[in-house]
Amino acid sequence: MFKMENVTVQINEKFILNNLSFTVPKGQISVIIGESGSGKSTTLSAILGILPALATVEGSIFFNGRNLVALAKQDQAALRQRHFFTIFQDAANSFSPTQKMKQQLYGLTALRMGQTMAVFLAKMKRIVQDLHLPDDVLERYPFELSGGMLQRCMLACALYLEPAVLLADEPTSSLDMLHQQEFIQQLKRLHSQLETTVLLIIHDLDVAASIADFILVMKNGEIVERGQVTEIFEQPKHPYTRQLVAHHF
Amino acid sequence: MIAKWIGKRVIMGTIVLIIVSFLSFFMMHAAPGNPAAAYYGGNAQTLSTAEKERIETAFGLDQPILYQYGVWLQEALQGNLGYSAKEGRPVATIIQERLPNTLQLVVLTLGIVAIASTWLGIQAGMKEGSLLDRGLSFVSIASSAIPPFWLGILFIMVFSVQLGWFPTSGMKDVRGDGGLVDRLYHMVLPLSVLVLSHVGVFARFLQENVKAENHRYYVQVARANGVPERAIRKMVLRNAIIPYINYVGVTIPSFFGGSIVVETLFGWSGLGQLLVKAVMVKDFPVLMGAILIIGVVVVFCLFVIDVLMIFLNPRLRRGGIV
Ligand SMILES: Nc1ncnc2c1ncn2[C@@H]1O[C@H](COP(=O)(O)OP(=O)(O)O)[C@@H](O)[C@H]1O
Ligand SMILES: [Mg+2]
Repeated sequence: MFKMENVTVQINEKFILNNLSFTVPKGQISVIIGESGSGKSTTLSAILGILPALATVEGSIFFNGRNLVALAKQDQAALRQRHFFTIFQDAANSFSPTQKMKQQLYGLTALRMGQTMAVFLAKMKRIVQDLHLPDDVLERYPFELSGGMLQRCMLACALYLEPAVLLADEPTSSLDMLHQQEFIQQLKRLHSQLETTVLLIIHDLDVAASIADFILVMKNGEIVERGQVTEIFEQPKHPYTRQLVAHHF
Repeated sequence: MIAKWIGKRVIMGTIVLIIVSFLSFFMMHAAPGNPAAAYYGGNAQTLSTAEKERIETAFGLDQPILYQYGVWLQEALQGNLGYSAKEGRPVATIIQERLPNTLQLVVLTLGIVAIASTWLGIQAGMKEGSLLDRGLSFVSIASSAIPPFWLGILFIMVFSVQLGWFPTSGMKDVRGDGGLVDRLYHMVLPLSVLVLSHVGVFARFLQENVKAENHRYYVQVARANGVPERAIRKMVLRNAIIPYINYVGVTIPSFFGGSIVVETLFGWSGLGQLLVKAVMVKDFPVLMGAILIIGVVVVFCLFVIDVLMIFLNPRLRRGGIV
């Protein structure tokens, strides 16, 4: 249902993604691992259509049989808006500092569905309770919440929207150990509830191993190895993967 | 808590006013010319030395400057601004007649500038690289480079003298009833000059802030997640407006400065014109009174800006600063 085919991204004549092809298995949690600068975030940006203006994209990105790259900008946006939700790395900066969470989560979820604030509040209050967020979280400003809480607010949006695809770029790397664990547990729970297709970028291999069904190993803008989590961690084939895994355990 | 905060502001404002008045007083006396001249009326030539000395003694002008300032300050703190050296009328009365005229001009200017520059700033800032974006940057530089007096003279020449659309000066028509319409009609040119010499810079300031805000992480997060553009605009403006309002706050004195030029040019009988006249004839009591009142208005505006900041910035509001 979600597939990259020969995707090449260039910025200033430099290949950032090089003929990238992979399929994200439906309903599973897939995780991209790889060193910094290998092109993981760029892959996500390409999927989301938020590459820098000077980047050129070739190849196809299929979602439900439709090539996102070939669609008009508005149609792309409409499709993503309906089916995708993305959590970014820097939780503390993911929200405007001068609006209450209520307003911002409303903008991220119900507003685009044309729902009223009342409808939103009724549903969202239950979700934030489920996620063990403070009772008054919706009345708070971002600076009154921890990074972990803010990242869980993003999860709350995903639970609200029930997107077909949930994307996240290193969602836990700005969190401390305790909050990382908590976030991962809740993400797993969300996945089992919604059967969403999940594509994560995760730097920490422990965290990756604890959540992934399927692993993609990235290096220099290419996928060098892919497979079920046990295969990758127990019988890595590519030298780079071996090196990554060996360094880790 | 709030009373304490306000109290602190009032004390700080008072100190600022005292410093301003002190500096004004000394600069006035440092300027060439005799401070007693205004008291002579038109009779400087015919007065004898003894008579001149008598005038100086009567008005305390023979005392040390510091002492004179002390006396002035003591009276001013009790609300007594003294009497005009030229007209002999109480300074407070003269200012009372003039202040509303200046406030009308400045407040209207400020209102129009705020609305126009906010609209322009956000339109231009949200559409980077657009014609408006590039155009505004250019126009703003141009508009801030044109001196208001020159623009004023140009307007008088074109719109009054050549086209005859608006009066060259004054606040009401000799045949007119002095009503609102008449007043606004006379205000068009001075107001336009003040607005045009400020709006570009303000719009440009907001434009830059909107652009910077529009590149912030949270906006990218919102955009990537399909938050409707009008909600994003609101969010961006909500943050970009904070430094903008601060900027308006620190620029308020410049509106009064501009109004001095414009009032003189268009014969608008406000405080600005009064100041210029008072300088000409060395009417120090009027000068001091007018400066003090403008100071009070400016300090009050800054106070309002501070309150707005707290209202707009939840960090200040909830951080226990109030
Ligand atoms: N806007 C950009 N302009 C130029 N180069 C970029 C830009 N964004 C990313 N890159 C380059 O692309 C490469 C991949 O970056 P990125 O996708 O962020 O890697 P990762 O997320 O795996 O750390 C890096 O070498 C980076 O320098
Ligand atoms: Mg990255």
